[in-house]
Amino acid sequence: MGRKMKDVLAKSIIYLATGITLCVLLFIVGFIFVKGISLVNWDFLTRDYNEKVFYAFVQEEVVPMTIDAASLSQKDPYDKRYESSLEGPIYIENIGAAVSKVAYKNNATEKEQFVFSYIEKDSPLLSATDSTGKKLSIGTDYILESINGTDFEGLSLEDVAAQINHETGELKIKVVQPGGGVRSNIITTLYMVLVSLLIALPLGIFGAIYLTEYAKPGRLVNIIRFAAECLAGIPSIIFGLFGMAFFVVALKFQISLLSGSLTVAIILLPVIIRSTEEALKTVPTAFREGSLALGATKLQTIFKVVLPCAVPGIATAVLLSIGRVVGESAALLFTAGTVAQIPGTLFSPGSTLTVQAYYVAKEEGNIELACAIGIVIIVIVIVLNILSRITSDKLNVFNKK
Amino acid sequence: MEAIKRKKLKEKIIENIFLICACVAVISLLAITFFVFYNGLKPFVSNSYSLWSFLTGVEWRPGSNLYGILYMFVGSIFATLGAIIIGVPVAILTAVFIAELAGSKVGKLIRFAVELLAGIPSVLYGVFGLGIIVPYVLKISPMAQGESLLATILVLAIMILPTVISISETSLSTVPMEYREGSYALGASKIQTIFRVVIPAARSGIMTGVILGIGRAIGETMAVMLVCGNPIAGIPTSIFSQIRPLTTNIALEMGYAAGVHQELLYSTGVVLFIFIMIINFTVNKLVKAKVGS
Amino acid sequence: MNKKIKFNTKNLDLYYGDFQALKSINLEIYEKEVTAFIGPSGCGKSTFLRCLNRMNDLIDSVKIEGEIIFEGQDINGDIDVINLRTRVGMVFQKPNPFPMSIYENIAYGPKCQGVKDKTQLDTLVKESLVKAALWEEVKDRLNKSALGLSGGQQQRLCIARAIAMQPEVILMDEPTSALDPIATAKIEDLMSKLKKDYTIIIVTHSMQQAGRISDKTAFFLMGEVVEFNETPVIFTNPADKRTEDYITGRFG
Repeated sequence: MGRKMKDVLAKSIIYLATGITLCVLLFIVGFIFVKGISLVNWDFLTRDYNEKVFYAFVQEEVVPMTIDAASLSQKDPYDKRYESSLEGPIYIENIGAAVSKVAYKNNATEKEQFVFSYIEKDSPLLSATDSTGKKLSIGTDYILESINGTDFEGLSLEDVAAQINHETGELKIKVVQPGGGVRSNIITTLYMVLVSLLIALPLGIFGAIYLTEYAKPGRLVNIIRFAAECLAGIPSIIFGLFGMAFFVVALKFQISLLSGSLTVAIILLPVIIRSTEEALKTVPTAFREGSLALGATKLQTIFKVVLPCAVPGIATAVLLSIGRVVGESAALLFTAGTVAQIPGTLFSPGSTLTVQAYYVAKEEGNIELACAIGIVIIVIVIVLNILSRITSDKLNVFNKK
Repeated sequence: MEAIKRKKLKEKIIENIFLICACVAVISLLAITFFVFYNGLKPFVSNSYSLWSFLTGVEWRPGSNLYGILYMFVGSIFATLGAIIIGVPVAILTAVFIAELAGSKVGKLIRFAVELLAGIPSVLYGVFGLGIIVPYVLKISPMAQGESLLATILVLAIMILPTVISISETSLSTVPMEYREGSYALGASKIQTIFRVVIPAARSGIMTGVILGIGRAIGETMAVMLVCGNPIAGIPTSIFSQIRPLTTNIALEMGYAAGVHQELLYSTGVVLFIFIMIINFTVNKLVKAKVGS
Repeated sequence: MNKKIKFNTKNLDLYYGDFQALKSINLEIYEKEVTAFIGPSGCGKSTFLRCLNRMNDLIDSVKIEGEIIFEGQDINGDIDVINLRTRVGMVFQKPNPFPMSIYENIAYGPKCQGVKDKTQLDTLVKESLVKAALWEEVKDRLNKSALGLSGGQQQRLCIARAIAMQPEVILMDEPTSALDPIATAKIEDLMSKLKKDYTIIIVTHSMQQAGRISDKTAFFLMGEVVEFNETPVIFTNPADKRTEDYITGRFG
């Protein structure tokens, strides 16, 4: 009986441990979703993090309102950063748009501002240009600061509407594109994934081909394997140190997309080598022999027979690598920087989603926003996990044959 | 003849390109070692700071030219030990559940959950720690802040779970069925079989998982940075003390440090690097020993 | 012949999913004898053996119908499986010592039953090893890994391990198929000694082995028992044509 009790006890401890693991996961994912979900919407994904101020030139043109007053009043600007709607909206005919006055919250400071809450589809605002004639787009939630040099600060909404209706001809409007979004971070992340894979993928795949197809077991192979293992074990912060000393300072690449991608490429190398090697090893020797027996050279055999069979394995490697890049932060902090902008060239800095999440949590203490970014990251991670499951299943199917 | 020769030459050249690609891993490792050590040893070679005060100092005040990392070292060790003590039993038992007790469907589901846990970037663990663990620690802590050794330990314990679980689970599943049959045939129960035969047989694999977990805990930066407090001095005296692990010291100040200050951040990296290399060698030995038997 | 019946099966059917692996098996196995099961591969003899200590429980898709009476109790019913397995020990085809010391291998079973006393365990280990004719070979290295023994020694260790449980029955599933002839001879020798104390049931591929060591032999074919009788009868005067074909080597 004592033994049965012991077994039951041990079993319940095992169940408890598994329960803890699952709860931790649910708790973390749940926490991030609950905290962040209210911030995630289309605007969040499509806006830049920083506000952008610009002058727009608009040809005045009277556009009548096509919706009724009741539905206009429903068009309150919906954005979490606005504390409350103060006045409006009022429809202004000669720009074909409705404006509201709202209390705008930026961290601790509160400001009253005018924002576009509704824009007619024939509105001249939609064909606005900048001073050089380049087309601009003005959307709802954009902040309206001045028109033809008249600043709106302190005015009531009615005054503003009257002021705008008073103007004719070409209007010069100072507009602020609201920030708080992660578009630039998403794009930086994509760039980072592309550039680092472009560097690491050929190196990793060719390296793996050498290790599995050419190398005879011996010292060199052992050294390469050991180096790959060591690289896999080195913490990202050390890669960050190296990237800063080598790419940023010694090679003078500056803190940039390129420095970041090169640093991450080294991190990816062992991941790609290992998965590709495993995939290549599963290709039956009979395939190689068959190809060689038909008079193909070793190289032809590798590229025409072996590599195509290993494609699912390489796909898994790519997915794992994307996951690594998306999740990386410590190595990018000093190599790609924390500036939330879309890098214009390889030599300009930019922050990925994960770095941005760190930045807003640490520097701004804004956990909600960090969690909102976290949601985007977790969704990416889940999609990658599911995809890699599918590709590795493919590899297994191949093995069974 | 000429065509065959050219073909052969081409094959040879491409083989060498493959070889060079394979060597990039080695070159990178050497370059990393060189750059980190070169920058990190500079201040001691040029005598701009004494190695002894660096290694034994308990204050890090770049303003007053005080750079001691002993308290960070101790903090790193305590945090890692704590995380191992809490995280490893949970992880191993979870692995036992997946490998031995769960049906194939439930096992798959939990495995997926563990993979997801592994895929969550460390920053988000830090955000979670900052949002949940730190405020909770503050409630029970006698100190004025929740950022502490305890918060760090909890975050790290969670973070090592996926590593230890997946490696332990793999090595548990490779234990031959004959061992289990033999044990059942001797009248052992399932639980006895698991604890007396299966786990001991998978010992070296589980150890590898634990050591990799230690490596992850020591090297973790971003999550820890958000929850550890990063004080400028003081060896931690209780689990509520703030700590400043080696990794966060680098990440915190690298952005603006210059001169000796910057070089000493690299020196911190050297200490960390040596630590990690010892761990890598141990894993390598363990894996080899396993293959040997 | 007033020996006791140890096992008695009644209309035993066994299915792996949809496949019927055993068809209506009726056998009586007497105590302190060696009973051999022979038959071609896949005939169900090992499957049947594994029914006797319910090792088939480990396979999910197995379904069993009918009765197996062991000492007056149906072991397919609601019984303590662990208790059953301590009374019915088993030795496998491939020697499977645990990756621990020789001593720990033998002490494993008793320890699982809660025996903690060191001197008691020491005697038990020695007795079992002596009975399994292994004591002289390993007495100086009891604390060395069991994986360092030769195949034959490992198999005798597994027998010793089974003996340490003081079972009533020892099931042997082709115990010598992985061994060389000398090791095989030692184990056969051991079996004839052990049958004084234990009921032994052995599955074997080798008809010669069955002929040499068993008292009774059952011939299995396609999940059925074709013939079950005294070993000399089976080998010299089989009642069934198929048995005769098999033992004279016409198929199998």
